[in-house]
Amino acid sequence: MPMSCHGALQELRGDVQLSIALAGNPNVGKSSIFNRLTGMGVITANYPGKTVEVQLAETRFGDRSIGIIDLPGTYALGGISEDQWVARQALLDGKPDAVILVLDATNLARNLYLGLQILDMGLPMVVALNVVDQAKARGIQVDAERLAQILGSPVVPTVATRGTGLDALMARAVDRATHPAPLPPRLRYSVDVEGAIGKLEKRLAARADRPHGLSPRAVATLLLEGDPEVGAWLAGMDEADDLVRLRDEMLAVLRDLRGEDAALLLSRERHGLAGLIAVEVERREARRPLVADRLWRLTTAPLTGLPLLGLVLAGIFGFLFYVGDWLSTGFSALWTAYASPVIQWPFRALLGDGMLSRTLLWGFDAGINAALAVGIPYVLTFYILLALLEDTGYLNAVAFLTDQVMHKMGLHGRAVIPLVAGAGCNVPAIMGTRVLGSMRERVIASTLIVLTPCSARTAVILGAVSLTAGWKAALAIYAVTCALALLTGIGMHRLLPGRGTGLVMEMFPFRRPGARAILKKTWYRFYHFVVMATPIILGGSIILGGLYESGLLWSLAAPLRPIMEGWLGIPAVAGLTLIVAVLRKELALQLLITLAMVQYGPQASNLLSFMRPDQIIVYALVNTIYIPCVATIAILGRELGWKRALLISAFTVGLALLVGGAARGLINFFGA
Amino acid sequence: MHLPHPAPPTDEVLEDCLQAIHRLEGQGGGANLREVAAFARITPATASEALRDLQDRGLVRNGQPGSVTLTSEGRRQAAGVPRRHRLSERLFADVLGLPWDRVHDEAMRLEHALTPEAEVRLATLLNHPETCPHGGPIPAPDGSLTVPPTRPLDGVPAGTRVWIQQIIEEEATLLRYLASLGLLPRTELRVEEVAPFGGPLLVRVGDARYALGREVAAKILIRLSSEQGD
Repeated sequence: MPMSCHGALQELRGDVQLSIALAGNPNVGKSSIFNRLTGMGVITANYPGKTVEVQLAETRFGDRSIGIIDLPGTYALGGISEDQWVARQALLDGKPDAVILVLDATNLARNLYLGLQILDMGLPMVVALNVVDQAKARGIQVDAERLAQILGSPVVPTVATRGTGLDALMARAVDRATHPAPLPPRLRYSVDVEGAIGKLEKRLAARADRPHGLSPRAVATLLLEGDPEVGAWLAGMDEADDLVRLRDEMLAVLRDLRGEDAALLLSRERHGLAGLIAVEVERREARRPLVADRLWRLTTAPLTGLPLLGLVLAGIFGFLFYVGDWLSTGFSALWTAYASPVIQWPFRALLGDGMLSRTLLWGFDAGINAALAVGIPYVLTFYILLALLEDTGYLNAVAFLTDQVMHKMGLHGRAVIPLVAGAGCNVPAIMGTRVLGSMRERVIASTLIVLTPCSARTAVILGAVSLTAGWKAALAIYAVTCALALLTGIGMHRLLPGRGTGLVMEMFPFRRPGARAILKKTWYRFYHFVVMATPIILGGSIILGGLYESGLLWSLAAPLRPIMEGWLGIPAVAGLTLIVAVLRKELALQLLITLAMVQYGPQASNLLSFMRPDQIIVYALVNTIYIPCVATIAILGRELGWKRALLISAFTVGLALLVGGAARGLINFFGA
Repeated sequence: MHLPHPAPPTDEVLEDCLQAIHRLEGQGGGANLREVAAFARITPATASEALRDLQDRGLVRNGQPGSVTLTSEGRRQAAGVPRRHRLSERLFADVLGLPWDRVHDEAMRLEHALTPEAEVRLATLLNHPETCPHGGPIPAPDGSLTVPPTRPLDGVPAGTRVWIQQIIEEEATLLRYLASLGLLPRTELRVEEVAPFGGPLLVRVGDARYALGREVAAKILIRLSSEQGD
């Protein structure tokens, strides 16, 4: 579990001699710099109730230990979105000795906005002018020296993916952190704004208790921007009347002079200033757009975008299908041959071959095998593909292309990102819905994620259906599930009160992904999956083993008969596996074969010896749709509340039974 | 701070008073002496003197009992100050290439010194800019802020250049989020792509590209840019 951000930042400060924060817009190569500067010992921290994370790591430079605080990629500091809030809070709590601002040299004007905010907060800054190679290729030259002069902060050109310039960057950052520079030249806003800041600043200089020890100018700026924390500080202090009155007067004066709110006015002027600085330091040659840029535009062009998306999706599923299956089979074979005997030996030696030993082996042998056989081939493979899609920027093109469909379900295009992640594992995907604005959107998106077949369910569909009924039947199950998800989304959008919010998202140019960043990100996600899933799989397997070894399991089968045999037309023993598979979805298939062998004898190791292909299709369909697994229910409860979690779970059970029965009827009517 | 014998108001004080009345009128109704004094940050005695002076010049007349209003000439002059200030800023920034951190102070001095004729020439020299270097609007010579007809962004075809005129939004969050991205009123953008079947728009602002859902685009009122083309 990630630790609390406030605590982690305190601890880091205690451990190291200097701390340096990394700030920058999304997708400017900040993580590449972080990964280059630090090793594997990364701590992830978050603030209570926020998903956007801050990463902390220690490194050495020269003879100093340095703590690096990697802020979330953000366009600004403030309270408008979670990333902005977390970045702002971590900067204030972490009190870094210097801030490295990572700028995208191909988009200086927009990127400088964040830098101006950092300077407004009075923090010592060093600029990494990143992707200078790409800027050059696009005909943009940036005068780093002039930029340094204007910002009053050192500017180091870098190409983070290759590591170019990073030593110089660290040297300047350490220098900046240890030798506080004289105040940077004042970046000035318009007379009106400067007048208001100046008046507040003069009054604030007398207060020693300014929040976070910020400079008077920083507090004045934050007050004009309507920062809630500084506002609360002002409201809460003794004899505040004078300052409150002055602030209100300044807000009124600015509104009067310029006809808009001070917060908006400051945004405007910062963008204006950033634009002026960019014009002053950039030299642009007119060039034809790069081939890469022109090709990249095909991903969003109306005629080519959707066919390309189809190809990419087919590629992902094909890859998972072949590579995942191949890895899974190989892994299980290796486990049975080498790991199983080693694990079984101590249990047998200590406990004999009794019920207890066999129950425990359900967990420690078969359980771990299953976790790895699904986790490594499907989840790990999926996470590599996901990281590739993210780092090239393609996922944003997917969001752009699907916005319209998502809109029909009360969501917007960005919701597609957690939905895609749901195909790996539902649990992190449901946590990922926190990027969506409202609870309404989160409930809809989480329900859709629950209906998205995760790696474990994919393993059952591939293992049971495509081997016995053919790949077309497997594909049909995906198609039915997709259609159900779509209908569910549309229905929820109609029924739930409220309305959706709109899509606002930056579209990134094509970036060649760095192998290091991809691997690190994949490892990090996979590690979290393993940490989260292993105890549940282990515990679930042992409970199941106990039920099975004690024979209690069979007594559960009888009450299921009417539903399983009467309605779904599948053997009651198969229904039993559906119930217990709530502990581990991929277990359904494995357990089905095991139980069938007990009931029907060894020839039942072939599914087809006791179930017809149409029964297997119904079985896999029900397994795919009904409540995903205990881990998912737990995360639903934690994220959306238990009432919603139970409603969603009950809904999926009802839907699975309905669709299963209907599928049985349809197949019988048209098929056999 | 009551001076026993107020000095005769300087031109700058007169202009400050004119500005004060102009703004107070903008809030509805006329302006009384006390309000004008508070707004212009002068004593009521000075304000009273200044108002008499302005009345003599035909810029201010008595309105409702106890309050004054601007004459049409007064309104023109009142509007002239922000206009002259912002035109001066552009002069210093665009023509003289003065570092932007000094533009404001220089403009503060020049705005009071410009004659109406110089102002006309300056506007011509600068090719009648609509905004100051910070994006603030430059009022027309008659003091009005021209509001050209607008339409929502979501009906605009790909390849069009537009200016954002206004963002309609009940909740401030969207407005402020768009602002942090640089999507502010009086920003120029180019519509690069419009997804079919009511999908989102892809717009370019400077070097950045953003996807905007239709429902967001419908809240952005725009006018077509005067210089069309690629």
